[in-house]
Amino acid sequence: MLARHEVVLVLVILVEVLLFQALGRNFLVGRNVSNIFRHSVEIGLLAVAMTPVILTGGIDLSVGSMMGLCAVLFGMMVNAFGLDPWLAASITIAIGAFGGGINAVLITRLKLPPLIVTLGTFSFFRGLAEALTKGAESYSNFPASFLALGNSDIAGLPAQVWVFVVVAAAIWVLVHHTTVGRSFRAIGFAPEGARYAGIPVARNTSLAYIIAGAVAGLAAVILVSRLGEARANAGIGYELLAITAVVLGGVSIFGGSGNVSGTLLGWVALAILNNGLTRISDYRIMDQPVASVARELSGMLTGLLLLAALAIGAATKSLAVRRARLQSLSKSPSNPINP
Amino acid sequence: MNKYFRELTVAAALVLLMLALAVFAPHFFQFQPFISRLTSQMPALVAAIGIALVIISRQIDISIGAQFSMCAVIAGVTAASGLPLGVAILAALGAGALMGALNGLLVAYLRLPSIVVTLATMAIWQEALRLWQQGRLLALPAGIKWFGCDQLTGQTIVISITFILLIVAAWAMKNLAAGRFIYATGTDAEAARLAGIDPQRTTFGVFVLMGILAGLGAVLNLVQSPQIQPNCGDGLELKAIAAAVVGGVAISGGRGTLWGVLLGMLLLANVNPALTHFHQPPYWEKAIQGLVILIAVMADGLRSRKNQP
Repeated sequence: MLARHEVVLVLVILVEVLLFQALGRNFLVGRNVSNIFRHSVEIGLLAVAMTPVILTGGIDLSVGSMMGLCAVLFGMMVNAFGLDPWLAASITIAIGAFGGGINAVLITRLKLPPLIVTLGTFSFFRGLAEALTKGAESYSNFPASFLALGNSDIAGLPAQVWVFVVVAAAIWVLVHHTTVGRSFRAIGFAPEGARYAGIPVARNTSLAYIIAGAVAGLAAVILVSRLGEARANAGIGYELLAITAVVLGGVSIFGGSGNVSGTLLGWVALAILNNGLTRISDYRIMDQPVASVARELSGMLTGLLLLAALAIGAATKSLAVRRARLQSLSKSPSNPINP
Repeated sequence: MNKYFRELTVAAALVLLMLALAVFAPHFFQFQPFISRLTSQMPALVAAIGIALVIISRQIDISIGAQFSMCAVIAGVTAASGLPLGVAILAALGAGALMGALNGLLVAYLRLPSIVVTLATMAIWQEALRLWQQGRLLALPAGIKWFGCDQLTGQTIVISITFILLIVAAWAMKNLAAGRFIYATGTDAEAARLAGIDPQRTTFGVFVLMGILAGLGAVLNLVQSPQIQPNCGDGLELKAIAAAVVGGVAISGGRGTLWGVLLGMLLLANVNPALTHFHQPPYWEKAIQGLVILIAVMADGLRSRKNQP
């Protein structure tokens, strides 16, 4: 039922939990466990939305910047134009989808490499957000009913976790149980082959990028609700965390293989790492208690984890290739003409 | 279509910008501020030369900003601890080479995609630097600023070093076998291998060179101020990539000239000062940068579609 890679991830998560429970204070307390999920819903959303994109063999570096732009536009709509926050949220998600559409058109119609397109939009969206706020402004006048989305609980779980569950389930169903979703892996594995097989490659690939953009918009709304503030620097560095979660989860960076459940496990592993470091105050590193440099440590460890996951993925792939070659050599049939 | 169409277009755009400034804001060309502005653009140009080589070989390196900051701090700390400037410079170049070697190892020999590798190493160096320095501003000893000379001499040295590097690099790309190897690897690594070139070694070398250039750029930046700012490399990768891409270096590899990179950098670096002199707000810089990257890449895409059957 669980792939081998996912079993390894579950073990990693167990080790993390044991480690932080031993080294940290108040780690497995209800409030902290709730916080682990409450604070990482935005990353989780980006990670599950990034999964279809990476499955098609592409990448989207602009999701973090899209969050910043959407946060600023959302803040403007509610603060400056007085729109109802839920209406503004819907418009924001649509704007995110539109931004994803820009990526999609450049990648599928002009056939430009996703890397440089999303690097360009990474800069452009963030630049727009900074320009709109003149580099300094932020919006913070939000009604309490809206702030409840990011800060209150529904039936024991943080409210935004329910939103995440719905979105993650929808993307899981899309990727694994619809023809469109199953085509993502086909496109990543062999784009020309997928085209010959009759898959509408351009249309399905566009869908992946549009979903990524829309979910980035949703993540922006949730972030603004949790922090009570909309700033242009929302989401900085989130693309790294999302990609790490996806690659940790066993999705091949080259596309063509992987599943959403792997991404979810990768996300949980990262979320626990992020939170656990903030709980360690009894140990010091470079003359500082670990908890006060948790952000820097977690950033470094995330980078190292990404490299490790990539290297292990490459090693297992080359081992598998070598094993397959040996097997086919040993089974090779004798010459049918001269036995 | 002329082979150097892109470079000529950028040169024309640069000339137009300079003309507009000469007519509407002639104080842009006042000697001292002009030289100071040019000098401050040199470190980014050095980085752009390096990133151009990386992109021509069909890779990318978004960790150069973090490498730049790290090299600057290493050089600064070395100098602040009393060691001579030469040692500090070597320390910066060496650190850059090591960081570049790590990228090169993972990309060339483990065959990992350069975007995710450099995304990861960028995070590692950035956060390691923050952990180490906690955002402190380090004061530099007196002999460091402008290499211990007066301002004008120092500025001349910085500008000369950069232009000598540019001329040597452009010559090497055209006339040295190593330069041809880079173009070949970027066009088709497998064909290069069949022709007897070692694409892994070429790619590794390009990343190490990028690291060394990041270190050199950091040193050239360091001598321009009395303090080290640990965030001096922020946004450098986008500036450098934008300059290269605007200047005609194709993201698909195998195409581009360093003169184009120079033109691209001069054009982009002067957008912000031009905005200031035309009394426009400066916070549009990042948006313009991103838009320029997109337009340049779209132009490349349209051009190669036209050439395809």
